[in-house]
Amino acid sequence: MNVLQAGLAGALGGSLFALMALGLSLTWGFLKVINLAHFGLILLGSYLTFELATSTPLGPLNTLLVTIPVLCVLGAAIHLAYERFEVSELSSLLVSYGLLIILVQVVHNIWSADFRRMDASVNPYATRSISLGDLSFPLPTLLAAGFGLVLVVLVGTIINRTYAGRALRAFGQDREIASAFGIDHRLIGVVLAGVAGATAAIAGMLFALRGTITPDAAFEWVGLVFAIVILGGIGNVAGTFYAGLLVGAVSGVVASFWTPSHSPLVVFSMVVLALVFRPEGLFPRRAGRH
Amino acid sequence: MKGGKGWIPLAAIALSIGILPWLRELTGFPASYLVLLSAVLFWTAQATSWNILSGYSGYFSFGQGAFYGVGVYALAVLVGRHGQSWWLGLLLGGVAGLVLALVIGTIAFRLRSLRGEIFALLTLAIPFILSAIARVTDSIDGGQGIILPVPEYPDFFGPFQQFIFWLSGAVAVLALVIAYGMVETRYGWALFAIHDDEAVAEGLGVPTFRHKMIAIAANGLIAGLSGAVSALQVGFISPEGTFNLRVPLFVIVMSVLGGRLFWAGPAVGALYVVTLQNRLAGGFEGWSLIILGAVLVLLVLFAPEGIMARFVRRPWTIVAVAAGVLAALALYGEWGDPVSWFALALGSAAVVALLPAGTIAGRRTASPSSRLGSALADPGEPETSSPGIGKTLVEAGEVTRRFGGIHALRGVSMRLSEGELVGLVGPNGSGKTTLVNLLSGALRPTSGSITVDGVDIVDMAPHQIVHQGIARTYQIPRPFNSLTVKDNVVVAIMFGREPRGLAASRQAAAEYLALVGLSDLGDVRPGGINLHERQLLEMARAMATRPRILLLDEALAGLNPVEIDNAVAVVRRIHRSGVSIVLVEHLLRVVNQLATRIVVLDQGRLLAEGDPATVMQNPAVVSAYLGSEAHARRD
Repeated sequence: MNVLQAGLAGALGGSLFALMALGLSLTWGFLKVINLAHFGLILLGSYLTFELATSTPLGPLNTLLVTIPVLCVLGAAIHLAYERFEVSELSSLLVSYGLLIILVQVVHNIWSADFRRMDASVNPYATRSISLGDLSFPLPTLLAAGFGLVLVVLVGTIINRTYAGRALRAFGQDREIASAFGIDHRLIGVVLAGVAGATAAIAGMLFALRGTITPDAAFEWVGLVFAIVILGGIGNVAGTFYAGLLVGAVSGVVASFWTPSHSPLVVFSMVVLALVFRPEGLFPRRAGRH
Repeated sequence: MKGGKGWIPLAAIALSIGILPWLRELTGFPASYLVLLSAVLFWTAQATSWNILSGYSGYFSFGQGAFYGVGVYALAVLVGRHGQSWWLGLLLGGVAGLVLALVIGTIAFRLRSLRGEIFALLTLAIPFILSAIARVTDSIDGGQGIILPVPEYPDFFGPFQQFIFWLSGAVAVLALVIAYGMVETRYGWALFAIHDDEAVAEGLGVPTFRHKMIAIAANGLIAGLSGAVSALQVGFISPEGTFNLRVPLFVIVMSVLGGRLFWAGPAVGALYVVTLQNRLAGGFEGWSLIILGAVLVLLVLFAPEGIMARFVRRPWTIVAVAAGVLAALALYGEWGDPVSWFALALGSAAVVALLPAGTIAGRRTASPSSRLGSALADPGEPETSSPGIGKTLVEAGEVTRRFGGIHALRGVSMRLSEGELVGLVGPNGSGKTTLVNLLSGALRPTSGSITVDGVDIVDMAPHQIVHQGIARTYQIPRPFNSLTVKDNVVVAIMFGREPRGLAASRQAAAEYLALVGLSDLGDVRPGGINLHERQLLEMARAMATRPRILLLDEALAGLNPVEIDNAVAVVRRIHRSGVSIVLVEHLLRVVNQLATRIVVLDQGRLLAEGDPATVMQNPAVVSAYLGSEAHARRD
């Protein structure tokens, strides 16, 4: 039962990282931009949630009304800059790393390096959990799983079922040809980057909901989130979510068998094996339906 | 990228590092300068080692922290846990980095589908694994960290900081010597070629796997050594402090800043970043990283080739400006301290370097028509002139190649003899390019045999097949874009069937440029020449490997009539020099003019072969290849 509890709780926790990975995976897969600044946006989302929830009567969940538009615009603006300078995939890594350093330092300068946490009176979710028989799950991770599921279904449906999604997939495969067929790559890129920014806002809010935040958290996410993006398959929406659950579950189980320090050993060994044997990700998209 | 006189600054650096501590005794400058310089030297070693793999070959690595970290821990465990001496720790640090590099390289570079991003991510994962191993293994770290005693070293080295300075200096000089030595020899050139187009490099005889292994080994060895030195200096080791993102990200910033294609680039970057950080540390801490981030963003966007690329265009102006600023500040003497003067001098040098330097030199000089004229001037080439037919060179037996369920080639047998020029024709999709890919080793046959002069080449890597005497060109030219036209040829000479050193290859290159009529364009980059000239470059490069058999894959596609006549003259000249040729071509006029024999493929099968006149009147060929007689008449 312990293992089951650890695995399930881990999987739910992993859904938060899947949410972080979703935006990164989308812009990488479809826009060919490896946007490390995404981590900076998530961090900003966390701190904005903290600030708004603490200084206004909004409540943590409602801060999304503010943070989603803000980060949506910021994400789109950063993408416009990439587009303007015709940044290649490799350069995007370097440029966005520079942006990440700047964003983290800005957060650091405004809110200091101290641990921040929403007061219990502001954030009633942090300490609550829901019990199911012998199993009990912290509410923030359940919320993360819920948001994750909704977003994955929503974004997945858009990409697989709508005209815009089809245009996006065409664009991801060959942007020149797609442009030649009249797909407005500018509009599509800006909208997608905006959507990625919105997911950063949600992920940031959920991270703040869990407990303490520090500026360095952004760098701590990088490894795990990239692991999920790779395992899920770059640009594969559902795969990213599954990979998040898988990584979380594996981490949880390993931690309960040995120690939490063993988790990265197993998770990143999985990443290496996946890259060697299944570079297209663990969950290949089904062919068909174009 | 290419120096020649690089040993002069290198010797100067080594000498300065050697005598600086004595200079300190004479002039009495503060020990803090020594700390600052040790930091520059540490980062020089780290960034230069990273650049040998990632800058030269283009395989971008996030794994620098892994090589650095195993060096740190090798020394820390040996010295801190087992009380061994510091030099044994240094040795083991270097070996640990080397072994890790060879393991990663063996796995990663054997992957069929290895792309740049996959390699980057693979190396991103390694430090996390190592960090976890260190944390959970009690005999390594166990999570409580390792405290190192101050090592016992000979009195000769003076104070501890001086000892560290010399050690860091030795490793940095080793790194620079390797980085420079590679640029001046085949090792670096193989990596430049891999950087630009790995498949083409392999196809010109470069053993790509071996050279990538050498690059990653150099990276691991130096980073491990340098990590071990820094462990001695720091004194307290923990997994969090070792395997974080600081090292991998700093080396990237420094190398990009300095210039990834220059051996001295990472060192210049290290000098700038360390000085900048030092100056920003007093009171500007909150801004230090913001400025560093902004510098990175602006550089990648506006000067992606780095400071060195700008520096080499007008080195003396830049040195003069920096020296002038330094001298003026020192003479004035009222403002700041010497480090600030130096920082300001560096800053002004960077500003001058990054100012727009006018248009880039090296465009075409000669007018195309004059060169075409000279190539066409070969008078009186008899249409049928050809060397005598000799023994069989290439023999393909029942070669079949499938892609999934599609048969690109079904049991094709053909042979090529010495002195022949075989025209390989057939409609689109008939399997011509597949056959070329099989002969050059880019693909392996699903079944069947291919021998060159009796030697079975089916299981050979493309570079080994080059050494058997087969060279090829690509239908869409694939020059090494960061090398000049001449240097494209130089690479092929260095790794061809009769390999030569860099200096000899440079001398020999002119011969091959003259062969195709590109002598005037040797110093231009491929981006500055037209399609016809690129196709000629393809031929020059292939010929520079000294082949016995040349595979020309639609070398005339997309040319205008004058250019075609010129290319035909070049092909004929190559043929007459004794090289057997397989010519894949759609233009029947050209094939009829040149070929001693024609082989016709249709839907992966051999449809007909024989001398041009006979084959072209074969009704099966006419209907399969041309579709109707009307097309035939038009040609």
